[in-house]
Amino acid sequence: MTQNTEKRTVVDVAERETKTLVETVLSAETVVSVGKGASLTHYRLAEDAENALTVRLDAGASYTLITLALGTGKLRIAADLAGEGAVCRSDVVYAATDDEVLSLQTDFTHNADKTVSRQLVKGAANGRAKASFEGRILIPYDKKEIDGSQQHRALLLSRDCEIAAVPRLEIYADDVKCAHGSAVGSLNAEQLYYMRARGLDESEARRLLTTAFLNEVLDGIRDEALRSDWEAQTAERIGL
Amino acid sequence: MSAWLEIKDLSAKVGEKEILKGLSLSVGKGEIHVLMGPNGSGKSTLSNVLCGDPMYEVTGGSVTFKGKDLLAESIEERACDGIFMAFQRPVEIPGVTMTTFMKYALNARRRAAGLSEMDAVSFIKRLKIRAKAFDISEEMLKRPVNVGFSGGEKKRMENLQMAVLEPDFCILDEMDAGLDVDAVKVAGAGVQIMRGPERTFFVISHNIGFLREQIKPDFVHILVGGRVVANGGTELMDEVEKNGFSRFYKEA
Repeated sequence: MTQNTEKRTVVDVAERETKTLVETVLSAETVVSVGKGASLTHYRLAEDAENALTVRLDAGASYTLITLALGTGKLRIAADLAGEGAVCRSDVVYAATDDEVLSLQTDFTHNADKTVSRQLVKGAANGRAKASFEGRILIPYDKKEIDGSQQHRALLLSRDCEIAAVPRLEIYADDVKCAHGSAVGSLNAEQLYYMRARGLDESEARRLLTTAFLNEVLDGIRDEALRSDWEAQTAERIGL
Repeated sequence: MSAWLEIKDLSAKVGEKEILKGLSLSVGKGEIHVLMGPNGSGKSTLSNVLCGDPMYEVTGGSVTFKGKDLLAESIEERACDGIFMAFQRPVEIPGVTMTTFMKYALNARRRAAGLSEMDAVSFIKRLKIRAKAFDISEEMLKRPVNVGFSGGEKKRMENLQMAVLEPDFCILDEMDAGLDVDAVKVAGAGVQIMRGPERTFFVISHNIGFLREQIKPDFVHILVGGRVVANGGTELMDEVEKNGFSRFYKEA
């Protein structure tokens, strides 16, 4: 189902097929097509990667994407919900530290009725890292029974890091349920105090709270070995 | 020689507000002390200052614990030295199970004491046996710390943490507050199970019935205006039950 070159990876899931794909080396461009009634679960590790992913979902197609973005990189995820009843779930964890610069851009278009999109983006920045998330949901004017949501939550782990979030909803239709939210903050001081009062040192408490926060997304990975490997890599990469 | 825990002329503030104003107290090993006093008299502040809560700033006085300068230690050093507080309002920690949390806490203490980390089998056994004593199911141990627990369940979890970590100075901050009748009946279970010649308790409560029936203290101290204004035995509880704190205000 996949063709792979350095420049371009093409993934086609035929009608009514169910597939799982794990991608750890990314081309510059990834093109995914999920056919009628087909289902694709896609896990991607984007380590210091630059990649543009475009996904097209036909009627009744279901696409579940979990992306782990580490280090300096530039990622774009564009989804075209082209067929009626298509469901797209895209969750992302991003983590950057030192002088890394990481940007994530998502662009979901509901081009058919009764389409559903769900995005949960969780991130953390440490050191002097700069991270940005820009997410767009576009719902053209004549579409009906659309359900979209986009949530972004991120942690600032140092004084000198930066996280910018730009959620953009462009809704031209009436029959729409669309929710979005973005919150960027520091670790909770009361939680840190409670943990330290039980004997955990500060860095241990910070690491535990941060990984618990990010693992909400990674817990969605059904392959246990892959999940614990990626969870460990995330903790290490963020410098905790 | 100073007492096991010696608090001398302790002053502390939160923000610009002075709460402790020269509080002194001597506490020995193996004793059960009750702290009573009107709201705002400094009971919770004293507890949190002893634990090292960064919200509070110590402005004067000293605290010696087992011969060491307690105020010079970090929050976690104090915990590893044996200080434990059962919180009045325990925080929720989503994503971290009670089992994981206790494993980290116990091993931090063992490392500080120069011991090797406890192996997984021994740890789980220890946790489960102690959970049973507080009527805590295995399923509850797998849930994130305090998330979605009732007030009574949170207090049982505080008791469990105390039993697992085996501290030698335990502060119970309003263990019985906000609980229904049945939950209050077991709120003192931690003290009952763990009291002994090696362990000291500070119990803060307004509930004299709870103190009398479940805690059975050796000493009672009355706090007013950030100072200890009376030291005695259970007769002080009887007096507060009858007359409130009015006499002590005059002495403050």
